[in-house]
Amino acid sequence: MNNFRFTHFLTSNAQLDQELTDKILSHCSRKKIKKGSFLLLAGEKIQHSFFVEKGLLKQYSVDKKGKEHILQFAPENWLMADRESEYFDKASSYFIEAVEDSEVFFINKDLIIQLSKTDERFIAFNNLLLHRHIRSLQKRITQLQSASAEERYLDFIQTYPDLTLRVPQTHIASFLGITPESLSRVRKELADRHRGRS
Amino acid sequence: MTTKRIELIAKPNPPHFVGDGFRVHNFIPSYPGLDMKRMDPFIMLDYNSNHNFPPSQIPKGVGVHPHRGFETVTIAYKGKVEHHDSSGGGGVIGEGGVQWMTAASGVLHKEYHEREWSKTGGEFQMVQLWVNLPAKDKMSPPKYQALENENIAKVTLPNQAGIVEVIAGEYNGTQGSASTFSPLNMLNAKLEKNGEVEFTIPAAHNTAILVLEGSVQVNGTEKVPTDHLALFENKGEKFTLKALEKSVILILSGEPLNEPIAAHGPFVMNTRAELMDAFRDFNEGKFGYLED
Repeated sequence: MNNFRFTHFLTSNAQLDQELTDKILSHCSRKKIKKGSFLLLAGEKIQHSFFVEKGLLKQYSVDKKGKEHILQFAPENWLMADRESEYFDKASSYFIEAVEDSEVFFINKDLIIQLSKTDERFIAFNNLLLHRHIRSLQKRITQLQSASAEERYLDFIQTYPDLTLRVPQTHIASFLGITPESLSRVRKELADRHRGRS
Repeated sequence: MTTKRIELIAKPNPPHFVGDGFRVHNFIPSYPGLDMKRMDPFIMLDYNSNHNFPPSQIPKGVGVHPHRGFETVTIAYKGKVEHHDSSGGGGVIGEGGVQWMTAASGVLHKEYHEREWSKTGGEFQMVQLWVNLPAKDKMSPPKYQALENENIAKVTLPNQAGIVEVIAGEYNGTQGSASTFSPLNMLNAKLEKNGEVEFTIPAAHNTAILVLEGSVQVNGTEKVPTDHLALFENKGEKFTLKALEKSVILILSGEPLNEPIAAHGPFVMNTRAELMDAFRDFNEGKFGYLED
C-alpha cells in the first residue's frame, strides 16, 4: 500500500476495494509539473482529470479583453477537471495551469467514463463527487449574484485557509469577482474592526 | 571538562531567492541532519552568502507576510535592510547590526534593501534565523529589539586574536545585548589570522557554527571552510576555533525547548489546532494590516 494522498482520497471517499483502487492507480500517471505549465488549454479537449498530490492548480477562462477569471483553485487533495469537455467531448473553455511547482495524478478520462458506466462502487463515488461539485457551483452562483465582497472573502478563507499566503491578491480578487482594490479594502476593514475591539 | 566535537559539516545548499532581495542557502531545516528538532530552538537558518546586487531604483526584498509563534533574528554583515510592520514599527538594519523581532502572537512585516543602499547596490551578506518560543510565550505581545553594532557587547580577545560580539547569551562573563525567552548564545567571532578562541557551552545545548568569512580549524583538527556550517555533538563543553585566515564566524547554541512543533509556512506552533487558529486569525485581519 503506498502512502499517496490520492490513495487516501480514493479509499476515504467511497467503498472502493483494493482491487478497484489498484486498477485506478494503474491507469494513472503521477507527474511533476513546473509552476506556470499548462495542463489544459482552452480550445483543447481534456484527456484527463487531475488530482493534486502536492502544489496548486488554477482553472480559469480568459475574456475578450484578455482578462483572466479564476473558476477554481485546486490545492493538495483536490480534484480538477472540466466535466463538460470530458463527458460531452467538447473543446474546453478553460485553461488549467500550475500556480506552484506541483505533483499531479493524471486520471485517464476513458477509464473514468468506462468505470462510471460499469462499476457500481465507482458510480456511487462519482455521484458523491458530482453532488458536491454542484453544491459548490450553486453556492458560487448565489454569491456572485448577491453576496458582498466581505461575505465572499470570508467564505473563501473557510474553503481555502492557506491560499492567502500562496497566491497574489489579484488571483483571489479574480476568483471572488471583485477588484484587487476592493479585496484590499475588505482586508483592511476586517483588521480595523479587530483593532477596534482590542 | 571534555571537548565538544563536530557531528557534521554542512556545505551550503544550492541558493534560492526569498522574494527578489535575498539569495539564501537554507541550512535549517532542509539540510539532512539539521531539521527543526536537531537545532531546537533554532528552527530556521537562511544564509545569504556574500552576493553582489546591482543598483536598483526599486528596492528588492520580500513583501508583506505574517509570522506567529517565534522570533526572527536578522544579522546584517554587509548591506542594509529596511523593514516595516503592522504595529507601525520599522527601521534600518545597518552593517554589523541585528534586528531581533519577537513575532509571538503575530505581526505582518515586509523587508527590503534600504532605499539609498539599493540605488548603489553592492555586497550583501545576511543571516536570518527563526528562534522558537516556549509554548507559554507564543501568544505574548510582539516586540522589537534593534541593535546597532555599536550597542552590541564586545569582548577583546588576548594576543590580538580578535573580538567576540555577544549578541545574546553570554561569553566569558559578558552578557549579551538582546534579551531571550530561553537560554541561548548568539555570538560573532571576528578573528585575525591565527587568532584562537575557546568557548565553554553546556553539553545539552544544541550548538553550531557558521563560517561567513575565512576558514577555521576546530579543536585543532577539523577544518570548516567559508560558507559551511558545523554542527556539534551534544556531549562535552569546550571547543576551540583557530582562524586559518582572517575570519568571521557565527556561533549559535541553545538549550532545546523539547516541546512539540507544528509548523506550516510562516507559523510555528505546538499543535495542529493552533496552526489552524493562526491561519484563521491572519485571514480575518487579527494580525493587523500593512500596505504592500
